[in-house]
Amino acid sequence: MLPIDTAAHSSRWRRRNPLEKAVLAFGLTSLALTLPPWPGGPLTAAVALAALLGPARVPPRRLWRAYRVPLGFCLTGAVPLLFTLGGPGGIVGPAEGGWARATDLLLRSSSASLGLLLFAFTTPMSDVLPRLTRAGIPAPVVDVALATYRMSFLLLDSLARIRQAQAARLGDASRAAAWRSLAGLGAAAFVRAFDRAARLQSGLADRGYEGRLHVLVPETPVSVRFLIATVACLATTAILTIVSEGFLT
Amino acid sequence: MHIAEGYLPPVHAVAWSAAAAPFIVHGVRVLTREVRRNPEAPLLLGASGAFTFVLSALKIPSVTGSCSHPTGTGLGAILFRPPVMAVLGTITLLFQALLLAHGGLTTLGANAFSMAILGPWAGYGAYRLGLRAGAPLMVAVFCGAFVADLSTYCVTTVQLALAFPDPSSGFTGALAKFGGIFAVTQIPLAISEGLLTVLVLRLLIQSSPGDLARLGVPFRGRDKAVAR
Repeated sequence: MLPIDTAAHSSRWRRRNPLEKAVLAFGLTSLALTLPPWPGGPLTAAVALAALLGPARVPPRRLWRAYRVPLGFCLTGAVPLLFTLGGPGGIVGPAEGGWARATDLLLRSSSASLGLLLFAFTTPMSDVLPRLTRAGIPAPVVDVALATYRMSFLLLDSLARIRQAQAARLGDASRAAAWRSLAGLGAAAFVRAFDRAARLQSGLADRGYEGRLHVLVPETPVSVRFLIATVACLATTAILTIVSEGFLT
Repeated sequence: MHIAEGYLPPVHAVAWSAAAAPFIVHGVRVLTREVRRNPEAPLLLGASGAFTFVLSALKIPSVTGSCSHPTGTGLGAILFRPPVMAVLGTITLLFQALLLAHGGLTTLGANAFSMAILGPWAGYGAYRLGLRAGAPLMVAVFCGAFVADLSTYCVTTVQLALAFPDPSSGFTGALAKFGGIFAVTQIPLAISEGLLTVLVLRLLIQSSPGDLARLGVPFRGRDKAVAR
């Protein structure tokens, strides 16, 4: 399994209804996008971090490993805003207000990413996918997504073993060998995926499969108290941002 | 290159989602029709989705000495057709956002437009054009994968330039800025992905001709293409 999904399966909020976590996480992401980046970004990031490291008990090291990926994109993506082309300073020169725009972008995207991670670290995909039919997603699409989800881990595991075997046979010794190994890996992924699908199909056919993958979803009631607390938290963050923005400016 | 969560302003995020929606709805219709006609389709399509997800996780050596990930959109479009790739690509992007923290949900529409829609359509168009012009299958496959990869990054460049125009030179300046940065890594990467796709397909022709024939990949003998 992938580290984020493993963490989600062992999360303290695992048994909570995904709707509750979606309201909190995507509410924070929406606030990060719509509120003024300063002080909205740091405030929403602080709330998301408090939820992640506090009640959700996500290990900080695991969170950092996942967070540094979008953070890297935000940092590299903000660099072009510092420069301008064809201005009075020559072909390339420092952009007027570039630092402010880059900082705003960094604050906004880094805090929005924490909102997404709050959902990802507390809700396994296996809890989300079967419920998507209730949100209006057609059943065949949900079935394909479920099959994709289940086969992805098996394929990733198989490929990791093949990669190990290739490395042990000096499959990375030269550039040509590395390309051959890589092509073999891609082809093996295809062959294994289709072989597994065929075997799964014949196994399911013996059990009366008619084209729908029925999955048992544990019934977890939506906690009204949690939802009220979430709405109160989101409203407080928004009010605090607006008040402190006026105070700071 | 996935655009990270929160990177696009809300108006742009909504606009790109609206632009991607008709293609995804069309893909869903094609997929639903296929599932009704063939009950084993969800499993085969699930396998295709898992293959696409895993393919995008492979590390390919870049000319600059570093490693990068293929988009997998070219091979996916050649094997599964662009309408199905719109759905499979969007599912893959959703998984990448929630399982790997690559991309995001507010930027899902923009990422889907570049990686699951325009990239596969452009790549598939180049592949079909190549076949129709009488090129050998592997040349057409290389062109398809190369164009799919490069067009994905071109669209991402346009998306970023529209969101963050240059203060002096506007959209054009921003396009040159983001495009210049991407070009250093993405042109070699597109060539690498084209080569990798050719190598993968050559191996598949040897090991799984039955599956390829069922998917409608035209091959005869070694690399000889046959127009359908």
